[in-house]
Amino acid sequence: MEFDFTPVITYFPTLLKGVGVGSLVAVIVAFMSIVGGLLVAVISIYINKIVSWPLRFFIWLFMTTPLLLQLYFLYFGLGEWILIPAIFVGILGLGFHYMAYNADIFVATIKSVSNGQYEASRSLGFGHAATIFYIIVPQAFIRSIPQLGNNMILMVKDTSVLSAIGVAELVYASQYAISVSFRPFEFFIVIAAMYYLINIFMELGQVWLERETAYRR
Amino acid sequence: MNTERNKDEPMIEIRDVHKSFGDLEVLKGINLTVNRGKIVSIIGPSGSGKSTLLRSVNHLEVIDQGNILLDGVQVNRPDMKGLQFERHINHIRQNMGMVFQHFNLFPHLSTIDNITLAPRKLKKMPPKIARELGMELLNRVGLASKADVFPNWLSGGQKQRVAIARALAMEPKVMLFDEATSALDPELVEEVNQVMQSLAEEQMTMLIVTHEMGFARDVSDWAMFMDGGVVVEECAPQKLFSNPDQERTQNFLRKHLNS
Ligand SMILES: Nc1ncnc2c1ncn2[C@@H]1O[C@H](COP(=O)(O)OP(=O)(O)OP(=O)(O)O)[C@@H](O)[C@H]1O
Ligand SMILES: [Mg+2]
Repeated sequence: MEFDFTPVITYFPTLLKGVGVGSLVAVIVAFMSIVGGLLVAVISIYINKIVSWPLRFFIWLFMTTPLLLQLYFLYFGLGEWILIPAIFVGILGLGFHYMAYNADIFVATIKSVSNGQYEASRSLGFGHAATIFYIIVPQAFIRSIPQLGNNMILMVKDTSVLSAIGVAELVYASQYAISVSFRPFEFFIVIAAMYYLINIFMELGQVWLERETAYRR
Repeated sequence: MNTERNKDEPMIEIRDVHKSFGDLEVLKGINLTVNRGKIVSIIGPSGSGKSTLLRSVNHLEVIDQGNILLDGVQVNRPDMKGLQFERHINHIRQNMGMVFQHFNLFPHLSTIDNITLAPRKLKKMPPKIARELGMELLNRVGLASKADVFPNWLSGGQKQRVAIARALAMEPKVMLFDEATSALDPELVEEVNQVMQSLAEEQMTMLIVTHEMGFARDVSDWAMFMDGGVVVEECAPQKLFSNPDQERTQNFLRKHLNS
């Protein structure tokens, strides 16, 4: 079998556009899933059962069903009622999915902060909420960085699933090019290499962040 | 300051305090008064309730019966609920510095931020003034060079000195020490004792739980021996440590001074 990469070069701008769309989605999803995950964790640990029970159900639901199915539900389910662009559905679906996973991490790390920290803060005169905000959550966040990093690396790869509902990220962008050039392998090799590169950069970032925060743990 | 006039003003009053954990009654009616500028030491065997008593003064333990007053204001207020009580206790605690056996410094904040967080957030002190205050306190505990270092890089003795500075930053009326030197290597005990000694010279009101008989004897105005949740004996430290009335005190001291 002979390789011919000229179609890949021809359609490279399209692929780059796909990387751009995928990156945009990933950045928004990262922000949404980390902030949202933290909120879910804090509420489910500290606020009363009535509020936290539906949240636990939400976490359980998103963690026990496939991402693709969640996207279909949102896209075709919501599509019955309102017309929303696929990219919004993709961001929501991926965002909620990883929000659940991140919340799970935050629940564990928040609980791992020792009671002595809570008591030291309260004994200075900080209230319950202020102690959570200034003392507990920052420490839990620092402890969460390794696992959050892993989740975000998985999440970036999962942006490819959004091609199933027509979000023009990298995999989706390649599909038209493949269909006219009949050169799937060449495209898949290049796309894999692009994901690999992005992955390496993210891992480097994760290592750097972990090192930068190690002395604060 | 006219210390003569202030001599007999009670700063901490502990009146008939009872506390149980489940079926275990840990405090069985404790009474103790600490006057302004005075230093009271509490000694006693492990499990006798010393920590529980000190933590009750800071309301880290909720007492079942009795009263605790700080400078005439009642600390425990079973009549108050929810946020109303939280506001009350936050205010009380700002007047009470607490030092823990295991330091409990905030690892995510630098030394100076550990000290200035409370004044900045609770007193709305401007960052520049807070930093000046922090540096002054670090100077006092001999750690001015460690302002921007994180707690993990400090030795145990340094951590405890920072913890004391942190407690002092809110300018408390009293300081509570729960075995401040018990977790330290022997060679680091002295530097913490010196800081406590200097507080004593500045007439800080202090309630100290300690296993260090020598230090308690030298620094305190009054000493109390607890066992099994009751006050067995209290008197001037010179008497308590050399010539106690009660047999239980004698036995405890004999064991402790021999080991
Ligand atoms: N949160 C708790 N729940 C149940 N029991 C407790 C709790 N805190 C303390 N106790 C028990 O209360 C008793 C008194 O404990 P406390 O810590 O006050 O003793 P202590 O005099 O400070 O001892 P030590 O010298 O070892 O520090 C002990 O029997 C202890 O096991
Ligand atoms: Mg104790």
